[in-house]
Amino acid sequence: MEPGLLKSADWPALIDVYFFLGGIAGGAFVIATIANLLDGERYRDVVRIGYYIAFLAVTPGPILLTVDLGVPTRFLHMLMVSKPSLAIGMDAVTVGPFHLKPFSPMNAGAWALLGFSLFAFLAALDVFLEHRGGRSMRTLRVVVGVIGGFFAFFLAAYPGVLLGATARPLFVGAHWLGALFLAVGASTGGAAIALVLSVLGGQRGDALARLMRFTAFALIVQLAALALFVLTVSTTGSAGIARALAQLIAGSYGVPFWLGAVVIGIVVPLALQFAGVVRKTAPAITALMSLLILVGGFAVKYVIIAAGQAT
Amino acid sequence: MARTLAMFTDVSLCIGCRACQVACKQWNQLAPEEPEWTGTYQNHHHFTDKSYRLVRFFEETDDKGQIKQWHMMSDVCKHCAQAGCLEACPTGAIYRTEYGTVNINQDICNGCRYCVSACPFGVVAFNHDTGTATKCTFCNDRIHNGLGPACAKACPTQSIKFGFRDDLAVVAKKRIDELKTLGYKDAQLYGEDSSGDLGGLNAFFLLLGKPSVYGLPEKPKLPQRNVVVDSLLSIGSALVVALGGLVAFRGRGGQGGA
Repeated sequence: MEPGLLKSADWPALIDVYFFLGGIAGGAFVIATIANLLDGERYRDVVRIGYYIAFLAVTPGPILLTVDLGVPTRFLHMLMVSKPSLAIGMDAVTVGPFHLKPFSPMNAGAWALLGFSLFAFLAALDVFLEHRGGRSMRTLRVVVGVIGGFFAFFLAAYPGVLLGATARPLFVGAHWLGALFLAVGASTGGAAIALVLSVLGGQRGDALARLMRFTAFALIVQLAALALFVLTVSTTGSAGIARALAQLIAGSYGVPFWLGAVVIGIVVPLALQFAGVVRKTAPAITALMSLLILVGGFAVKYVIIAAGQAT
Repeated sequence: MARTLAMFTDVSLCIGCRACQVACKQWNQLAPEEPEWTGTYQNHHHFTDKSYRLVRFFEETDDKGQIKQWHMMSDVCKHCAQAGCLEACPTGAIYRTEYGTVNINQDICNGCRYCVSACPFGVVAFNHDTGTATKCTFCNDRIHNGLGPACAKACPTQSIKFGFRDDLAVVAKKRIDELKTLGYKDAQLYGEDSSGDLGGLNAFFLLLGKPSVYGLPEKPKLPQRNVVVDSLLSIGSALVVALGGLVAFRGRGGQGGA
């Protein structure tokens, strides 16, 4: 560890994987919900695959988080303890053994993970039953989709807010990390659905084209949030913060940042989209573009967290 | 709540003997560690799970690189009135005692390490043996029995003083005046002002120079102050993304894009 005052949590890449999967889950869920709200029949494949991906991507989350804990058997302490202390922070609410700390993004995130998992399960179950020939429960799906959608947004964004609420120089003056992580969730969620659609077939035509347009739009938001993050940090001023930022964009993390997060993850997919290469008839290109977005989505989260923890 | 207890460390009296560091290790039964070469007499670079007290050494040099002044400061958990670690803790393991100090309940902590990165002073450390976060408790067991922390008891020069916060503030202000008349122009209190940064520090310091000379942040900030702004920006981003989705999937036929 380098000389200096601050210390790092030294979270391993396991946590980055969870943040990445949580983003995909949240993004895919919201896309499926929006598609279902506008025309559940026409976008049936987008809805079905979206809800499946949301459920499958969120399921490893609690396991990854539990494995990383110093005392894994105490994972439930994130939500409840048998004998809570009285003074545990600003606006903390304790109901029986349960506690909610709105200013601890990790605590709020644990609740969101629980809530989202429930709705992701219900949504996946509903599309599964319908696919197996059961009766479609339209109203239930809309209710599950809309309420779950709020949890989905929360799940995608909270890791960024969580990082922003640390004393790490790269994060303490950042502010845009939650917005960035949300946009990454949307783009990677869209890319994951598009990848499955283009590989498995299904509605390749209009629905896939619209999905790719949305994903490209999410990439633009992602690019804007990333630029605002770098800009905000660079104008914060202190020497330690400048050093951390230099480490991210020019130091040992410079190559994965520019090549992985920016070029592969954003610039190339956007260029493919706007060049009109992604045709309805070219699922291979769509699959490639989706893969690039997924790789870039992981890279941007990984590289920011790694640089923030190292400097 | 009982009267707030506090620690006042006067660096002008510190002789760098590290009796406080040893007393802390003895009372809290903290195991020995491999020494680290830090370039000075300081050991280690950081607070660790086995060093809750750390005497920091700083060599202030002049323009020619000659040592101008040697600074020593016995550093400790600040028990901030607004504590980053306590707010970050997702389990409620970190709590405020009736004396205003900040403790980590070792039976609740599950070792997520969020507090380690949330402390603006790099105090909290992760203990790999127990899997939990640890730090100075102001010798919680001792202060509940009227003994005062081991470090303050051991300090041979009374550089470390322990008592009620309001009493110590009076002592500290008197000492500042004394030092100023002796010619220490830059002498200042760090963390004494309870209306200042982090609501004041319950371990506050008398420094002979700027906080940066001692490696301390000039304006420490509660990291959780970011939560509201960051969340609002996230909500804004969510609205933009949702709107993009509505536009992309709306309408009939092949057209209609974002």
